[in-house]
Amino acid sequence: MTESNLRDYRDATLRAVSPNFTAKVFAGIGVDRYTNCSSAIGDVYVAWSTPGVSAVRLAGDERTFEAWYGERFGRRAVPAIEDDPISEAARAKLRGEDVTVPIDLRDCSPFEQRVLHTAAEIHRGNARPYRWLAREIGAPDATRAVGNALGQNPVPLLIPCHRVIRTDCSVGGYVFGSEAKRTLLEGEGLDLGAVENVIGHGFRYIGHEEGYFCLPTCGDIATRVNTTGYFGLRSIEDAHAHGLSPCGTCRPIAA
Amino acid sequence: MPAACAVAEPDANAMLAEALAHDVDRAFEDVVIAFRQPIVTFVARMLRDDARAEDVAQEVFVRAYRALHGYTAERRAELRLRSWLLAIAHNLTRNAVRDAPPASDSLEFDDGTPRAGLTDGQPGPEVVVLRAEAWQSVGDAVAQLSPALRPAFVMRYVDDLSYDEIAETLGQPVGTVKASAHRGLLAVRAQLEMNDD
Repeated sequence: MTESNLRDYRDATLRAVSPNFTAKVFAGIGVDRYTNCSSAIGDVYVAWSTPGVSAVRLAGDERTFEAWYGERFGRRAVPAIEDDPISEAARAKLRGEDVTVPIDLRDCSPFEQRVLHTAAEIHRGNARPYRWLAREIGAPDATRAVGNALGQNPVPLLIPCHRVIRTDCSVGGYVFGSEAKRTLLEGEGLDLGAVENVIGHGFRYIGHEEGYFCLPTCGDIATRVNTTGYFGLRSIEDAHAHGLSPCGTCRPIAA
Repeated sequence: MPAACAVAEPDANAMLAEALAHDVDRAFEDVVIAFRQPIVTFVARMLRDDARAEDVAQEVFVRAYRALHGYTAERRAELRLRSWLLAIAHNLTRNAVRDAPPASDSLEFDDGTPRAGLTDGQPGPEVVVLRAEAWQSVGDAVAQLSPALRPAFVMRYVDDLSYDEIAETLGQPVGTVKASAHRGLLAVRAQLEMNDD
């Protein structure tokens, strides 16, 4: 037996470690990790556990964040050294890439989970009213509870609760402040000035001559009012009087 | 011979142990990063089962974490991490080997082809095929070592650990470890010579 036999054996049996090895160890010990990520509103802490991202908060003092995390989730989060597939996905999503990020909503109630899952389906460049979301989850009278559930969103930005606004199209509250909410919505391509202009003229919907009508926050439709084929509407009744059907994307509700 | 476990140098060990003494949770990922590859590799060599190696290695770290929380800060600061972790891995693989169904004589690689090593300048396919037989013969011979000899042989002649470190890992006197490693070497050599005949 030569040295080279042993060396070949050693090299051939060196094991690469899979990318989620450390994550599985941390799952076993019950400690979560967090890392600093860039986002449209500045640096945020992203914490994650085995199922997915568990929290997003504005970056600041580590100890304050860790204390908040322990209080809210009953588990400890420590600063991560390495990214793993979950944190990499979150980092990409916060950069604006269209990727799926696993989310850990174990600590949310079933009602909160329904609200958050539905909010997650609102696309970039759009916004929907709280009352709309209440209707979508089959609880049309629960608008206030919907607002509370969004306020408890543990993963803002990743679940875009900022895309849920008031029925009058004012932005309403947000965990990172109303200004941040405006910044986010406009950064995503929603022209709030155009929406406010529509509302300012007493319109609640926008109709199209092809026979449908939308919320003013359905994509960029607010920018098209008074261009060929588009016109403002004051009420659902107004829309019905024009013989218009609700848009299948924004599914407008009564204002 | 370069050490395959040379990830954590003594200074790094001291820094890690110091960090563990201060805060186990915050220091633990560093420990996992420093030792995951040597531990997974060690477990894979002992079990001859790549599929189970990561699971068992993860359990090594989970047990290490729990043990660390039971130790005083002073004890954590004095740990020699590599041999301490290898000792946990040794105990777990011993149990895993005992609980597993009997393995075949040959190394259990998926399709018989060698994995490329992790070193730079990996050989091309032809070279790998030509050299495969030699290392696989070593693997077969290692696989046939008794459980009493295999850990000492692998740690000494494959991982290049010192006898002191192996003794600490296995919880045996240095003399016993030297004897086991040497008997392992003779047995592997004999097996390879038999193959050559």
